[in-house]
Amino acid sequence: MKNLALGVNGKKIAASVEPRTHLGDFLREQQLLTATHLGCEHGVCGACTVLLDGRPVRSCITLAVACEGGQVTTLEGLVNDPVMIELREAFAAEHGLQCGFCTPGMLVSARDLVLRKPAADDRAVRIEMSGNLCRCTGYGGIVRAIRRVLDARKKTKT
Amino acid sequence: MAEGMGVGAAVRRREDERLLKGRGRFTGDIALVGMKDIALVRSPLAHARIRAIRVPPEHQGAVFTWADLAKGGVKPIRAVSGLPGFKISDQPPLADGKVRFVGEPVAACVGRTRAEAEDIAALVEIDFEELPVNADTLESARAPKSKIHDHWSDNLFLEADTVVGDIETIAASAPIKVSRQIRMARQCMVPLEGKGVVAVWERQAEQLTVHTSTQMPHIVRQGLAECLGVDQGLIRVIAPDVGGGFGWKGLLQAEEVIAAWLARALDHPVRWTEDRREHLVAAANAREHRYDITAYADATGRLLGLDARVLVDAGAYSAYPFSACLEVGQVGSILPGPYDFAHYRCHAVSVCTNKPPIVPYRGVARTGVCFAIEQIMDAIAGAVGREPHEVRLLNLVPPEKMPFVNVTKKHFDSGDYPESMRRAVAAIDLAGIRKRQKKGEADGRRIGLGLAIYCEQAGHGTAVYHGWGIPMVPGHELAQARITPDGGIEIRVGLQSHGQSMETTLAQVAHQVLGVDISKIKVVHGDTGLTPFSTGTWGSRAAVMGGGAVAAACKVLVERATKIGAHLLQAKPGDAKFENGFVRAGLGHVPLAEIARVWYRAPQLLPSDVDPGGLDVTAGYKPKSDQGTFSYASHAVVVAVDTETGAVEILDYVVVEDAGVMLNPMVVEGQVLGGIAQGIGTALYEEVPFDAEGQPLASTFADYLVPGFPEIPPIRIVHMTTPSPLTEFGQKGIGEGGAIAPPAAICNAINDALKPLGATLTDTPMSPKRVFAAIAAAVPPVGGPTNGRRVTPLGVHSHDDSLAAGNKP
Ligand code: FES
Ligand code: FES
Repeated sequence: MKNLALGVNGKKIAASVEPRTHLGDFLREQQLLTATHLGCEHGVCGACTVLLDGRPVRSCITLAVACEGGQVTTLEGLVNDPVMIELREAFAAEHGLQCGFCTPGMLVSARDLVLRKPAADDRAVRIEMSGNLCRCTGYGGIVRAIRRVLDARKKTKT
Repeated sequence: MAEGMGVGAAVRRREDERLLKGRGRFTGDIALVGMKDIALVRSPLAHARIRAIRVPPEHQGAVFTWADLAKGGVKPIRAVSGLPGFKISDQPPLADGKVRFVGEPVAACVGRTRAEAEDIAALVEIDFEELPVNADTLESARAPKSKIHDHWSDNLFLEADTVVGDIETIAASAPIKVSRQIRMARQCMVPLEGKGVVAVWERQAEQLTVHTSTQMPHIVRQGLAECLGVDQGLIRVIAPDVGGGFGWKGLLQAEEVIAAWLARALDHPVRWTEDRREHLVAAANAREHRYDITAYADATGRLLGLDARVLVDAGAYSAYPFSACLEVGQVGSILPGPYDFAHYRCHAVSVCTNKPPIVPYRGVARTGVCFAIEQIMDAIAGAVGREPHEVRLLNLVPPEKMPFVNVTKKHFDSGDYPESMRRAVAAIDLAGIRKRQKKGEADGRRIGLGLAIYCEQAGHGTAVYHGWGIPMVPGHELAQARITPDGGIEIRVGLQSHGQSMETTLAQVAHQVLGVDISKIKVVHGDTGLTPFSTGTWGSRAAVMGGGAVAAACKVLVERATKIGAHLLQAKPGDAKFENGFVRAGLGHVPLAEIARVWYRAPQLLPSDVDPGGLDVTAGYKPKSDQGTFSYASHAVVVAVDTETGAVEILDYVVVEDAGVMLNPMVVEGQVLGGIAQGIGTALYEEVPFDAEGQPLASTFADYLVPGFPEIPPIRIVHMTTPSPLTEFGQKGIGEGGAIAPPAAICNAINDALKPLGATLTDTPMSPKRVFAAIAAAVPPVGGPTNGRRVTPLGVHSHDDSLAAGNKP
């Protein structure tokens, strides 16, 4: 067991973890933050995406002990985030989710995309989001939802 | 008020709020005090006898084998079929002396965490005596290397023949004969959430509660009770939020039996969570069909007869409840597709192999069947020199013949199949594509156009299922409807919604009948403790059966409420009517909420002859005929094929579908789109290959390719609406449809692109390697272009596996 100190959703956490425990398991099993889903634990599906120091990481291939001193933000910590509020509205309007299992990871990645690439066209959206798998929707609704947020933000800027 | 919330409205989903905030509750999210995790020791071999299982002394008591379960009264899973000649096999939840596929559970290890349980599992030693492995379908059928089930005479679950008319005479006289050997690969279903179970013995309720990621809680309860040898009343199955199913969660799983038994035996909660490797290696397999198919036609392309020999690789065991007979039965009965012809013969065999059991995956046999017949229709078109859609139009059941009973006695309920094909051809701009093909592409790729059409029997019940003799025959669908004391509505169904949006669509149905605002309608599902029996969510049945049942229950509520309302309005029952949540008589009206208040809190005001059942109703429903609704769709796709690399890109995709009356068009489109994405996966990417020793070669998402954002193109959906004459609102089941036609349409498109090179693809997935191999093996037609590469790629095997007797490798 190793001692670990880090921030999770703005709170200081002191915990003791096995060196082999990945961040996803740490969040879900020890912190009971179950919004972060595990779809593969191979680093492929993106369901487990969280923010580490503001950047998206795959929590299934990030060891918890490697986050010492870092700030981790999960979907629970983004409930009041303005971009997330827009994304939630757009996902519901465009049927961007069915079973909802991929959704937390989708939202975290989509938020990052919206902030980083405000001018992305649909093709760029598909490429930027290619690290997140969804088995239910066929992606169309998700692309439309992200499009909706990008367009709305462009309008409010101009 | 009914405006915009009832049947047909694109109402936003009730389930989104929690899921978008990460507040869903999936099985893996459930944490119970004292809960321990299970890790399974799985067989590393495809076929072997177990000589000994050694558990390190320090872990005695944490490791369980079949001996423990059997001593505890557990019986093997047994999914029978009443079809003549079906061979019965038992599947012990933990291997009993023999393993029959890689990944079969042999021992269950319990630890405080999954990691600890896996540590224990790694220390368990098994002595195996290896047995010859039957990894190949054809070989296991024709020249088995060993017997998989020792008491069988061969490795065949079932052989089924369907013969209608006189195919021999047609064969002797038909001017056109085309044949194809076609193979659909073994696939894995890959819901993004794997399977999961949390089981706990509830001391006070004296009940085993099994939270499990399932599509059919009531059937899992039935199966668990049979295997554990206990009354069904002792078991409550709860499916919480379920992260996709597609068929994989429509069965009783060995792991469910193991976890349920352990929870009771150990008297503490246990959890098993399928990881992705377990999912890909040991489970969730589907498809794997081989067709040797011949069609006979006249010189115009009119189909005269169809003759097929089909092998379905069912894997090592018969899965519960659908049994190893379902796919071959479906193949025999639906291979004729939406076409009208008279002479048909199909010999379909369900083959046992040393691979995981197959489970009906979205579309079940329809995807393979459509892949076969739609290739054959293109072959006929080629042979008679006509456009593929022309030959289809010639053979499709025309609207004026609806309702229509086809060659295998399927009752097509309604629709205009030719019109959907015509619209697809127009929408994809066939004429424009043909011009473009003549001109050639600037980048040197070849483009091709492909079509496919199918009809999907859905929501079928007793009339169809009793003939199979499997452990489950759907009858009336039940729904419970209740008005709460404050005038809200509770709907309870034994179905389970795992992406299908039933918390929304069934509320829309209740709203349609009762007029109550949808925000006051709560749909409860997926819990045997709270809902009436249902066989569950499978076979595209929820909208038809659940929708009908909810409407039936709500109508009884209307009747009862109207009687009370009339009394309160001092009118005769016959003078009152129910409208949009109010009972009206003369100038007066009384809202449902007031009627509820009177029933629950002021019963002194009720009429003396009030129905004592009150405002709480369970009603059953069957469509006018339960032969099934037939939704249908035409798919049209344009692809570009890079003949240098074999890469295929989808340039355009159109689907023209008829779901009858859509309960919620947004949801229907979502189902169609999601299905198509899976169908594109089947067509181009997904395969679980096995080596000769039965070792699965795709065990991670790096090997098993699930299509992502860039692989799925924008898809255009065109709706047609022919109400089903059989159902409550005219709705038809469509949940599986999207996944049926893409492999056929895409294959036909690739073959259209490669036609000038003389190359033909017949197998899924049409990966770059397969496309490249087909080009390399092609003999260009005389006078055709020669820009296909003329080399033999490495690692590509020739296709010499005809199913015709005496023609085996
Ligand atoms: S669970 Fe981490 S990428 Fe799939
Ligand atoms: S909504 Fe089910 S995996 Fe995306």
